[in-house]
Amino acid sequence: MNRSLESSPQAFSTDPWKTRIDRVFARALLIPLAMAIGLLALLLGDTVYRSFSVQVVRADEGPGKTYPFGLSANEILRQELLARGYTEEEVRFSLQDPTERRVLLLQNRVELMWSTQDGPFRYVVTGLRDERVADFSLAEGLRRWNELKANLKEGERLVLNPWLDQSFLTRTPSRSPLTAGIGVAIWGTAWVLSLALLIAIPVGIGTAILLEEYLREGTLNRILEVNLRNLAGVPSIVYGLLGLALFVREFGLGPSILAAALTLGLLGIPVIVVTSREALRAVPESLRQAAFALGATRRQVVFRVVVPAALPGMVTGVILSAARLIGEAAPLLLVGAAAYVPFFPNGPMSEYTVVPVQIYLWVSMNIPEFSRVAAAGILVMLAMLSGLYLMALYLRNRFRREW
Amino acid sequence: MEILKQRPSRNPKEVLTFILLVSLSSVTLLTTLGVILSLVGDVVQFFRRVPLLEFLLAPEWTPLFAEPRYGIAPLIAGTFLVTAIALLVAIPLGLSLAIYLAEYASGNARARIKGTLELFEGIPTVVFGYFALLFVTPLLQRVIPDLNIFNPLSAGLVMGFAIIPYISNVAADAMESVPRSIREAAYALGARPYEVALRVVFPAAISGIIAAIILATSRAIGETMIVAIAAGQRPTLTLDPRETIATMTSYIVQAATGDQPTGSTAYYALFAVGFTLFLLTLFLNILAQWVVERYRERYE
Amino acid sequence: MSLELLKDHETVRSAPVSEAEALVDVRRLNLWYGKKQALYDISVRFPRNQITAIIGPSGCGKSTLLRSLNRMNDLIPGVRVEGEVLYEGVNIYDPRVDPVAVRRQIGMVFQKPNPFPKTIFENVAFGLRLMGVKGSELEDRVVEALKRAALWNEVQDRFKKESGLRLSGGQQQRLCIARAIAVEPPLLLMDEPTSALDPIATQAIEDLIAELKRRYTVVIVTHNMQQAARISDRTLFMHLGVLVEEGPTEIIFTKPKHPYTEAYITGRFG
Repeated sequence: MNRSLESSPQAFSTDPWKTRIDRVFARALLIPLAMAIGLLALLLGDTVYRSFSVQVVRADEGPGKTYPFGLSANEILRQELLARGYTEEEVRFSLQDPTERRVLLLQNRVELMWSTQDGPFRYVVTGLRDERVADFSLAEGLRRWNELKANLKEGERLVLNPWLDQSFLTRTPSRSPLTAGIGVAIWGTAWVLSLALLIAIPVGIGTAILLEEYLREGTLNRILEVNLRNLAGVPSIVYGLLGLALFVREFGLGPSILAAALTLGLLGIPVIVVTSREALRAVPESLRQAAFALGATRRQVVFRVVVPAALPGMVTGVILSAARLIGEAAPLLLVGAAAYVPFFPNGPMSEYTVVPVQIYLWVSMNIPEFSRVAAAGILVMLAMLSGLYLMALYLRNRFRREW
Repeated sequence: MEILKQRPSRNPKEVLTFILLVSLSSVTLLTTLGVILSLVGDVVQFFRRVPLLEFLLAPEWTPLFAEPRYGIAPLIAGTFLVTAIALLVAIPLGLSLAIYLAEYASGNARARIKGTLELFEGIPTVVFGYFALLFVTPLLQRVIPDLNIFNPLSAGLVMGFAIIPYISNVAADAMESVPRSIREAAYALGARPYEVALRVVFPAAISGIIAAIILATSRAIGETMIVAIAAGQRPTLTLDPRETIATMTSYIVQAATGDQPTGSTAYYALFAVGFTLFLLTLFLNILAQWVVERYRERYE
Repeated sequence: MSLELLKDHETVRSAPVSEAEALVDVRRLNLWYGKKQALYDISVRFPRNQITAIIGPSGCGKSTLLRSLNRMNDLIPGVRVEGEVLYEGVNIYDPRVDPVAVRRQIGMVFQKPNPFPKTIFENVAFGLRLMGVKGSELEDRVVEALKRAALWNEVQDRFKKESGLRLSGGQQQRLCIARAIAVEPPLLLMDEPTSALDPIATQAIEDLIAELKRRYTVVIVTHNMQQAARISDRTLFMHLGVLVEEGPTEIIFTKPKHPYTEAYITGRFG
């Protein structure tokens, strides 16, 4: 029997509810994405916002003074305070109480800097050029700008201060947020990362080559793969414990860059293995066949054909794992990234700190100005990471091959 | 023939290369060995001084008191609290994204969403911790007056977001690997996309989805910086998300950055907690793998 | 056409090749992939400076036989071989022989062109470098190979800088041929070398192969019967791992002796 559509539309009508649900459903699924992007935006916004503040600053006199190598910190403080007119009694009392001492340091801005560029340690006392009298958030400061300006005392100025500036990048950390800098942490990161990669790259790429080119199956292959999978799932802080027990204590390396590099290197191996294996697997089998057919040994096939072909992918993988490692704080905290390292590292046995650890320490200080410094530090770290990701992206696009 | 008498494969370079590669790979095996040995040694020391029962059952973790107590329950409670909150956030959000990626997203959209998720994965957890403490907590304090400045709620919420990529990637992979034929059969029966997604693909991929959740849990448990910054470092046995607590990881950080003299019980306690953490995450990882393998056949 | 009939089959031969004429002498070659047997008792001789084609329906083992001649099958895990393949009188499957050494004597061109992601020069030079050839001798032989592969004219101005992947399909295949013949292998194996190319490129390669037989012995696997008829001197017909018939191409294509051969030639199966 012939039925035309016009005569029985009900046979093919769609359920209006279900269509609506479908559409709503699809849109609802994207809510998490919107939330995540929102969170990122808030995070970035808050960080940038926090890294600016409105301050009342006062010019202060006091040039820097150098003290000879050999004097203890306490001795220098003592002499300095005496020179400024305090009595022996007052000086002795202040220096004995840790809180007092810290307050003194902040108030009098006695800074102990150990600068390696100038040779052996010298204690340098600097008088800051500007003393922060009051600090306001951007919104409040701008809102009350005129009022604050009217209330300025003799010698004071109202400034809009970005905490992320050139000197922040090159200075050493200090007890005062005004002169805190991330330079030392950047150097520390550079040192630790390079040495860590020195370990992670050969082991990671070597393991990848072994698993993809020499031992594609078999007992050893399975043992290595299971082991790698488990290692990848171990929390990074456990690597820190390993580093603490083995490198710092057992090997006696102490809280040094070397211990950190060893720990971080081990942490980075699984990622490099995974990315390198992908890169090797992407090389088509026909290339290997062609090389074998020309009479190449396996070593020659791997190192003259496969690895060169997989190189861009492997380099990208290394860059990505470096980016991951830069952000690691937990394991390095355990291995001794120190709380206060006011000098630039000068070798693998040196004490050090790294960027994420420095940020952590600033954040956990609970002094509001240090949270600004932390914000500035975060911006620096995000900039470093963006640089690395852009490099990886560039590499991936430049060397996109059609085999 | 002359040439056939050569033996290039026996060239010492070949053997040496192979040996070199094996040696390099053995570092990975040594790492595992190192992890276990370094933990076990000090854990044994710990349990020489602290009875196992106290460790497991005592309700207080106070290593620095004059009369120290070493019950791990508060740390486990803290970890559990933060992780639970994180999963409450991450599971619905992560799975929604996974369903979208697997069933609805076109090629372009998929690439962009995955790119955003990769971005998320790349943000160091210190940054999330900073955000939790300095942005989320003050915000929440306006709504919840009793909220401590260090609390598991903020940390858990932010951690939840940080974990979303791990759930959505694995779950999306699991759903994408459900064979086309199953989907097409459902469509042919007149099902709409959302019905296919929820009633056919999701159940078919359930083993992978569960594995994703287990793995995300393992990650949440092992997460350190967010909790160290925002959740607190005061071991408290409570399930109230407004109180300051400590997790296993935040305790380890706290203990390690305050100088413990090497031989002290407090020092070994560090490793006892670390070992517990290690065992826990190891168990979860193995569980996830087992789930995937055991239930995979059903839907092939 | 069931396998059972063929297992004890005696290969039908016309004008069989004598030992003296043969560069390669396959004697009772059997091959297994794990438990599955792929070649049954193959015996055949490949004459010098002639082109021998191997034809047959898909899965008949022609590629497997071809790859047995340069021990490429060794690279597949679980492969087992019985029998002998004599190359210039030496059994290449002798346990004392290194397959790598064998492959340096024999060239191979594959179905889909597979130049290395290197410059044209480096592609052709690869095999030479393996043998330790360097300097001006290297360059001369690369140029010579490119000329013999009829690629020189098209790339002479850019062969040192340009990647092999930038060439067209037909050019890439000629590059692969140049790469294979650069080391002057007496034997050249070709596995369906034109099946991935367009008709014009195919023609160019066929002309090239016809030229090559002056210096080299060629064994070519092809599923294109017309191609076999056009360029080869002798033809082998295989089916289900068995060598059904072999002989001069003219005889195979005009007066095949075995009913299967005739059925295949006339298109009744495969």
